[in-house]
Amino acid sequence: MNHYVQGDPLLCIGCRTCTIACVVAHEGKRIFEIDPDGYDFHPRLKVIKTWSVSVPIQCKHCENPACKAVCRSDAISTMDGKVLIDQAKCIGCKSCAEACPFGAIRMVALGFEVNPDGSRRSVALKCDLCDGLEGGPACKRVCPTEALRLVDEDGLSHSLTLKRQNTLKAASAPELCGRPQP
Amino acid sequence: MSIKEVQTTCAYCGAGCQILFKVDPERNQILEAVPAMGRTNEGTLCLKGHYGWDYINDPQILTKRLKKPMIRRGGKGAPLEEVSWDEAIDYTATKLKEIKTKHGPDSIMCTGSARGAGNEANYVMQKFARAAVGTNNVDHCARI
Amino acid sequence: MSNGVHEIEDAKLLFVFGYNGADSHPIVARRIVRAKRKGAQIICVDPRRIETARIADLHIQLRNGSNLALVNSIAHVIIEEGLCDDKFIAEHSLGFDEFKELAAKYTPESVAEITQVSPEDIRRAARMYATSGQSMILYGMGVCQFAQAVNVVKGLANLAIMTGNFGRWGVGIGPVRGQNNVQGACDMGALPNSYPGYQNVTVPEIQAKFEKAWGVALSNKVGIPLTQVPHYVLHESEEKKIRAYYVFGEDPAQSDPDLAEVRESLSKIELVILQDIYMNRTGQYADVILPSTGWNEHDGVFSCCDRGFQRIRKVIEPPADADVLTDWEIISRISTAIGYPMKYDNTEQIWNEVIELCPGFYGATYEKLDKYVNIQWPCRSRDLSDKGTSFLHKDGHFANPDGKAKFSSIDWQPPTELENDEYPLILSTAREVGHYSVRTMSGNCRLLRNLEDEPGWVQMNPELCDELGVKHGELVKVLSKRGHCVARCLPTDRVKKQAVYMTYQWWIGACNELTIASLDPISNTPEYKYCACRVEKIADQAWAEKYVQDEYLNIRQSMGIELKKIGGRAA
Repeated sequence: MNHYVQGDPLLCIGCRTCTIACVVAHEGKRIFEIDPDGYDFHPRLKVIKTWSVSVPIQCKHCENPACKAVCRSDAISTMDGKVLIDQAKCIGCKSCAEACPFGAIRMVALGFEVNPDGSRRSVALKCDLCDGLEGGPACKRVCPTEALRLVDEDGLSHSLTLKRQNTLKAASAPELCGRPQP
Repeated sequence: MSIKEVQTTCAYCGAGCQILFKVDPERNQILEAVPAMGRTNEGTLCLKGHYGWDYINDPQILTKRLKKPMIRRGGKGAPLEEVSWDEAIDYTATKLKEIKTKHGPDSIMCTGSARGAGNEANYVMQKFARAAVGTNNVDHCARI
Repeated sequence: MSNGVHEIEDAKLLFVFGYNGADSHPIVARRIVRAKRKGAQIICVDPRRIETARIADLHIQLRNGSNLALVNSIAHVIIEEGLCDDKFIAEHSLGFDEFKELAAKYTPESVAEITQVSPEDIRRAARMYATSGQSMILYGMGVCQFAQAVNVVKGLANLAIMTGNFGRWGVGIGPVRGQNNVQGACDMGALPNSYPGYQNVTVPEIQAKFEKAWGVALSNKVGIPLTQVPHYVLHESEEKKIRAYYVFGEDPAQSDPDLAEVRESLSKIELVILQDIYMNRTGQYADVILPSTGWNEHDGVFSCCDRGFQRIRKVIEPPADADVLTDWEIISRISTAIGYPMKYDNTEQIWNEVIELCPGFYGATYEKLDKYVNIQWPCRSRDLSDKGTSFLHKDGHFANPDGKAKFSSIDWQPPTELENDEYPLILSTAREVGHYSVRTMSGNCRLLRNLEDEPGWVQMNPELCDELGVKHGELVKVLSKRGHCVARCLPTDRVKKQAVYMTYQWWIGACNELTIASLDPISNTPEYKYCACRVEKIADQAWAEKYVQDEYLNIRQSMGIELKKIGGRAA
């Protein structure tokens, strides 16, 4: 099963420490020693706030990814349980961004490559689970409220078990069970 | 490269988080801020704790780091000129003494600082206002 | 705070009143989240759907400016339903009978219109708070930044006294202090009415103690609060006027209310001294600029929001080309030059003088701070076994001379400047989570700058946006009687239609151009949370975008940033 980072809206406080950590992880720490405008600020997750929810939205690393299915340039692949985009192959058609059911893909001007008309070239960008970086996803590591977790097979099965138990608890009245609820 | 580690308290809010800084002493450069086990933060930091020390690098983004004492020798409206510490201190003291003599100590107002300066500097400032100037006109931004 | 930050997660009920921890102190907000996980109930009182409101068991979305009406009504229900801790009241408090009379008037029905809260919710909140057995109140600027502020704090204290929620683990009331060392500046006596350690300047014995220690006669006249400086410059008689202003690590020309008035007063003061690490807006009015070392470049002690003393240490040297001194060296040299010699070799020497003069801090030596990292005052003994005090008022002993808590009986008052035909909306100012204070620190950090930059946002209810015909990200003009500014529209259903919110960190979206210098009579805190305003659509967005960009460049240039050094994107 592919892994993914899942945010818990009951724990998230919307502080966006994860957002910056994502940029730092992908740009490298030299950020603090270079020209303030000499790097790209392109977080691969986006904290969304609604009336009832605050949580970062990021790639779910789908098993049969819609983004991959629509990609015309073979830029999206699945490798080692991750869905990855090869920006060098991306033609900037935006199909994947449109196809993603979660809005987890952004089009960004990455690096300083330019189109023939002088504008900066936009490519598709999304969470790569900090592929190749020590310590796993940076967003999860810095979250001060432990709102983010890396979901693997065991983790998913555990949370599904809890959910099933809760559903049963809610559905069964104490008198039917014959003993008081804890 | 030998890395020096120094633990200190974050200067960004009243939570008082403990941070361990990793420093390259040869280049006088902070490399990383690592959350430390403080009573209030228990090994966590927010975005300002993790990334808010960068201003010390003086990256020339918003405002200039003040590096030399400056005075407006020509009075109001004149440009600020860089001067030596001796001249800046002498100029400030002379002006303060003039105002105190002419208008009394209560015509002088001092502030403490609720930010990075620390308790000792605040103590010295209020002692300056009270003992050197002779006024209780000292306050800080707690009320704003 | 009467209790420690680490105790928050052990409370059985958190009553979070006008405090948005997620934006102002994420690491304190973390404790609120942990409390919830451990099973605590949460009541959140805030006109906005803040993060705490999302996870609260009860969100009381009261009308802005109705705090005391709500608090007194909660007290009314607690009394009416017999939920008081009578023993605690009898043994540890004074003035309850008078308070009962006042509270009798505040039926939930009678305040429903003022507060826009249903009587059922008020009753529910009162029951939850009074019956949890371990309730803690946390409050913030949503209480303090009103013309009626201190009395709301006293009102909240009433609730804690009448239910016996004081003097134990995980109870009490917690004003969560905003800036990193507000607590410390107060502890050190940077206050017009008290010497270090909250020792009153008007008490003769205390005056004598400090006169002896400092070897000089001292004044027993309470000084001027910071927020009254404009008044003392512009409107006082000649003999009372402020003539010199020594500004140390602050930026009143950005942080204070009614900036036009602040600028006028700064330009009229004979001598403005600015001591800071970065150029700021006040620096443009300064006659003298004294450059000092920044956080990480010097040693010392901070006090965190729950009275915890902690060491700060020099991490790196100041830049090689910077001719800067530590703050205490600069002040000592000026003091010596005007005839009162001060000479210290290091911060420990100063700290030892402080703790010698303050009985409540006496035990908090550098040695112990290095050993224990954090010591919450009071810490009265040098003995290593005295590690400080997590919660105050143990066994119901309060800091008043008679050891008793006092009920205060005060009626609700409406805010100073109400909405009207010309300015039909409420403006309330708030904080940006990724920026700090006047932004001279955080705004000079690459990544925090990238996260949020000028001109800042104005949070507006989507219905209001529709009525005005403005969309997400569009620049709008926000106006009050005192001034105007330009900010970006942020539609969000987390705010009510009647109020808009702006963060105070911005130069171009400077909401303090709009705010009113109406002060609480006791704390002298301005009413940042309430003034009347209007939002206008800007038809020519291209012009507005260019205006923001040009202004930003201009201000940065005036702050000493060279144009060639301003990055490619903006220049």
